Amino acid sequence: MTAIELEGLTKRFGDVVAVDDLDLTIQEGEIFGFLGPNGAGKSTTIDILLDFIRPTDGTATVLGHDAQSEGLAVRSRTGVLPDAYHVYDRLTGRQHVEFAVEMKGVNDDPEALLERVRIADAADRKAGGYSKGMRQRLALAMALVGDPDLLVLDEPSTGLDPNGAREMREIIRAENDRGTTVFFSSHIMEQVEAICDRVAIIDRGQLVAVDTIDGLRNATETGETLYVYVADELDETVLERVRGLEGVAAASIDDGRLRVRVGDVSKFAVLHAIDEVAGVQDFSVVESSLEDLFVRYTNEPVEVEA
Amino acid sequence: MTWLTVAKKDFRDAVQSRALWALVGVFVLVSLLSTYAYVEVPEMFGSPAGATFGGLLFFTVGLTGLFVPLAAIVVCYKSLAGERELGSIKLLLSLPTTRGQVLAGKVAGRAAVLAFGLGVGLVVGLGFGSLLLGTFDAVAALTFVLVTLAFGAIYATIIVSISATTGSTSRATTLSLGFFVVFELLWDVVPMGILYVVEGFSFPTTMPDWIFPVMQLAPSSAYFSTIVALLPDLADTVGAEPAQTGVGVEAGGTDTGFEGFFTSPEVGIVVLAFWLVVPLAIGYYRFAGSDL
Repeated sequence: MTAIELEGLTKRFGDVVAVDDLDLTIQEGEIFGFLGPNGAGKSTTIDILLDFIRPTDGTATVLGHDAQSEGLAVRSRTGVLPDAYHVYDRLTGRQHVEFAVEMKGVNDDPEALLERVRIADAADRKAGGYSKGMRQRLALAMALVGDPDLLVLDEPSTGLDPNGAREMREIIRAENDRGTTVFFSSHIMEQVEAICDRVAIIDRGQLVAVDTIDGLRNATETGETLYVYVADELDETVLERVRGLEGVAAASIDDGRLRVRVGDVSKFAVLHAIDEVAGVQDFSVVESSLEDLFVRYTNEPVEVEA
Repeated sequence: MTWLTVAKKDFRDAVQSRALWALVGVFVLVSLLSTYAYVEVPEMFGSPAGATFGGLLFFTVGLTGLFVPLAAIVVCYKSLAGERELGSIKLLLSLPTTRGQVLAGKVAGRAAVLAFGLGVGLVVGLGFGSLLLGTFDAVAALTFVLVTLAFGAIYATIIVSISATTGSTSRATTLSLGFFVVFELLWDVVPMGILYVVEGFSFPTTMPDWIFPVMQLAPSSAYFSTIVALLPDLADTVGAEPAQTGVGVEAGGTDTGFEGFFTSPEVGIVVLAFWLVVPLAIGYYRFAGSDL
């Protein structure tokens, strides 16, 4: 069954098109990463899912309910960590969670939830005095109230230190193991890469890619890249000979080194072959990261494949 | 029933605000001072025959008629606009509730806050007054306190509804103060201005009938009329007339010299009902339809 379905979703603010004809389907049980640079339209899309804002065109269906006309049904089964939210400064952390428990009409133990996000020791302090990371943990605790079927997390690691971000990922995984669908946005590839089943990349309001992490890697000419320092003078003739070697997908001269993308053979075989051509002095291997990929997708005009 | 949860949370939040306690303090102080002044020199405050408990009540109406609108503005102007400006509304509306429930909860919560502040001030003021006077009219006092709390709730509705129409607190402030200036400070002038324009830029020799309900439209006038309507005997004995209420309240149309339904004090109750329903409808319409 589908957890989230967007069809032709469009949102304009005056002349600005924040979300442009978005089609996206997220299956139940997935951890889905919604990736894009700041201002790409991620938060606008999430705000439509939660009925904070209304689409100009198209529909958003969440857990089988229309996000606009049946928002209450959607939010009854959804835990939300919004973006650019603010806590109630004068209420304590515990009061926040108690409020969420009462609003959702469940019997969760606020103490246990605060324990889970590791701010139980600050439970009775006013949230106005919390650090950004603690507020983020508090909002997560509120989102987890009532064991939601869907978690919508907008930039969940904002304000968290690396440790906190890891704990956040652990909680996301644990919730997913329980069967919860997780939809979260981020502008940092690394976080998405570590945890997501599938990823959508959005830029300037438009989807530029939807795929699994591996799929994204394969779909783009990434793979492993060798940087090789050679004894001989590097020139076009050497380069041409290297390009002709078996297993070399591409080669170029980069900062006085050979930059060689390796195809379907072992790196060792390629290195050995280069050694015979130009005499290898030193080398390094770089696995091209999804970060590069993300930068490429969102900086260059990319044709979207159907 | 999430509105009740929202109301409770809102009350909990708002009672911790320093502004509220400053307000309660000011009201208690003003209440004590004015009560003392009334009992000492009643002839200056509309009771030439001497201080009575009824006279004190009607004198206090003049005070609360001014204080309640101002207190409502302080307590309520940020109720929704502030949450939208800061973004806490996102935390609230992420939960399984609706905008209608949130608006209702906000109105109830802020009305309770206002009732709390007013209740304390009135009990202290009237208690002090009855001690000085040596008399106490329980029915009149209870009627007065209940109507005043209802008036507070209606004003909370008006200001929360105004706050619901915008996502900017400065705009909410402007609109709230604008409402106060137009409907409370200038309302004895505004209907006359309308009349002047309608009659072709001149005043007729006799006032047309429609002018009386229009003049009654100011919430505090309606509040005064309602008290007169519910305590007619007391109003007669103290000769309570709008002109004598002084302190900023200008009520029109309660003068018994005019004929017809619109001139009877009961119209105040209708007007108060109007102020409960209409702002809420406008506030809801604007709030439910807006992008946060």
